[in-house]
Amino acid sequence: MEQGAVRGPMTRRQLLRVIGLSAGSAAMYQAMASLGLAAESPFTGTPQLGEAPPGATVLVLGAGIAGMVAAYELRKAGYRVQVLEYAARAGGRNLTFRGGTQYTELGGETQHCRFDPGLYINPGPWRLPHHHHGILGYCRQFGVPLENFVQVNHQALLHSTDAFDGKPQRYRAVKADYQGHVAELLAKATQGGKLDAPLVREDQERLLESLRWWGALDQDFKYAKNLVSSERRGFDRDAGGGLSGHPVPSTPVGLQQMLGSELWSSLPIGDLYEMQGTLLQPVGGMDRIADAFANELTGLIRFNAKVVDIHQDASGVRATYEDTTAPGSRHTASADWCVCTLPLSILGQVPMNVGRPMADAISALPYAAAVKVGLQFKRRFWEEDDHIYGGISYTNLPIGNIGYPSTGYHAPGKGVLLGGYLWGKDAARFTSLPPADRVREAVRQGRQLHPQYDAEFDSGVSLAWHRAPGAMGCFALWTEQAREAHYDNLCAMDGRIVLAGEHASFLPAWQEGAVTSALDAIGRLHRKALSEPRA
Amino acid sequence: MSTRPLRGARTAALLMALAMPLALADAAPEPPPEGNLGTTRGDEIYAQVCQGCHMPDGRGATGGATYPSFAGNANIASARYMAVVILGGRRNMPAFAPEHVIGPYFEPVFLTDLQVANVINHIRTNFGNDYRDPITAAEVKALHPTKGTPE
Repeated sequence: MEQGAVRGPMTRRQLLRVIGLSAGSAAMYQAMASLGLAAESPFTGTPQLGEAPPGATVLVLGAGIAGMVAAYELRKAGYRVQVLEYAARAGGRNLTFRGGTQYTELGGETQHCRFDPGLYINPGPWRLPHHHHGILGYCRQFGVPLENFVQVNHQALLHSTDAFDGKPQRYRAVKADYQGHVAELLAKATQGGKLDAPLVREDQERLLESLRWWGALDQDFKYAKNLVSSERRGFDRDAGGGLSGHPVPSTPVGLQQMLGSELWSSLPIGDLYEMQGTLLQPVGGMDRIADAFANELTGLIRFNAKVVDIHQDASGVRATYEDTTAPGSRHTASADWCVCTLPLSILGQVPMNVGRPMADAISALPYAAAVKVGLQFKRRFWEEDDHIYGGISYTNLPIGNIGYPSTGYHAPGKGVLLGGYLWGKDAARFTSLPPADRVREAVRQGRQLHPQYDAEFDSGVSLAWHRAPGAMGCFALWTEQAREAHYDNLCAMDGRIVLAGEHASFLPAWQEGAVTSALDAIGRLHRKALSEPRA
Repeated sequence: MSTRPLRGARTAALLMALAMPLALADAAPEPPPEGNLGTTRGDEIYAQVCQGCHMPDGRGATGGATYPSFAGNANIASARYMAVVILGGRRNMPAFAPEHVIGPYFEPVFLTDLQVANVINHIRTNFGNDYRDPITAAEVKALHPTKGTPE
């Protein structure tokens, strides 16, 4: 039937267009897909490698998540494994700043974190999506307790210096007004016959009903000031009991003002696959995962070992390293095979005799700039005064967001929040500041969302990823074109060497990328080791 | 790790223009000379961007790998070499006039030809350097990796 043909995907596409999936969001999705951010983890359980060839050895470079997954699984299969790690601790970019942490960045400045006991920030990864089965699987296996990470909080703030005279708005009000006005417009278009072509009458009626419910419209399909819309955007006075309990509805912001504010651009963040509930975090700090792995690998990791050369030949791989506690010293470690998880930002400068395709891939990727700032305050004013329990406020200021702790609600004493999470240009600028200035600047900007900052600020710390000695950048910045040209070459085994890490995954910057890339790499390494005739 | 929202329609438009195929991008208006940094001064560009890695004293830093020093570095005898590296990137050194960008999420620093020239001239006359042959924006323009390679 002809009508049926018209009611196919075309109609849905047109609907989306009407609802306002702008070219921007479509392009955004495409960009995300090419980033890999919309991709599901291919993890299907820890590998059953089977038995290693007798006496086979593997050298793992880097004791971050990828390196430790590789070491753990390969040892389990019977390989003799040794791990070289540049830092004095295991975990790589998985780390936590808490009271007592001392952190020396490139340039030589040392920060002393003065957070009270139990308070922390995760300056690297800070959330675990429920579908990142690999990293969650290891948390389960090693008994790392998890708790909720709050991403979306309707009470959190959306802020733009260019909108509402710089006054922060509640997420719930922005969402309700945006959705309500869009619903009203679409209802008007439907009633005015504008959707007669794509939708038959019954579907138009269903659409209208759904718009009324979705957009909190009144009987006349209007988004107006009343108890129905306030049930979404919040009340001027909340409902209560007794004679004083009458709720007072609030007044929606007009469509044009809402569109002009651009605050809607932050609304769908929690709808992104990686940001959807349930998100989790380890109780006590992200480095609980690193600690659990390191505990499993006790005795296998050589710390303070800076790899300066990687050489392979027909019989094995040899890494030359410096013991950084004895500068200039040279040692070697050898094995039949090598899993190299050094970030490309580092590996690009380490001589390694691999073929042109892998070498070109290693050289092709710059690393994203990112900075996180943790701020301790004398009290948890965001809960006491603002009733914000976890979640994230977004701003167009360089600090980008303010992340509230998802744990320790109502705890007396001090509190710590993430006072800034900067990317790109803003991160480059913050990286260029001394650590104390980053904190000062985060306080100066953040007070525009929370005026309590001035009275309550206590101390702060920051991590600028390009100044992190063992990372020298946050994560590999793939473009679509770079993936096309280099991704397969980066991942393919070259002789006795295979690379792993978030950079060798479609989940850049996520620990799940490190886990799945390591599992994929060691599976291939193992098959190759089995197929090799042994001397 | 995370994504963040685009900072607004203007940013998105700028980035999408940059991400477009060359033929279309050429039709887009030229960015202002101060790019998205708000300054064309070499010293200010250095202080806002370069010193994050190369450090305020220009001496770079060494961790797992090394950010090169500008003091006593023979490579910077060539302003053109510096321009090529700044425009197109080299290993972990990002491209500041990238041919491709990663979409609206990560607005990096874009440097205009004038900014590239000015920051090169700043570096080559500071940190113990005293090169007397400044590079011009027009000379930088000719060094773009995609320029002069018609389809």
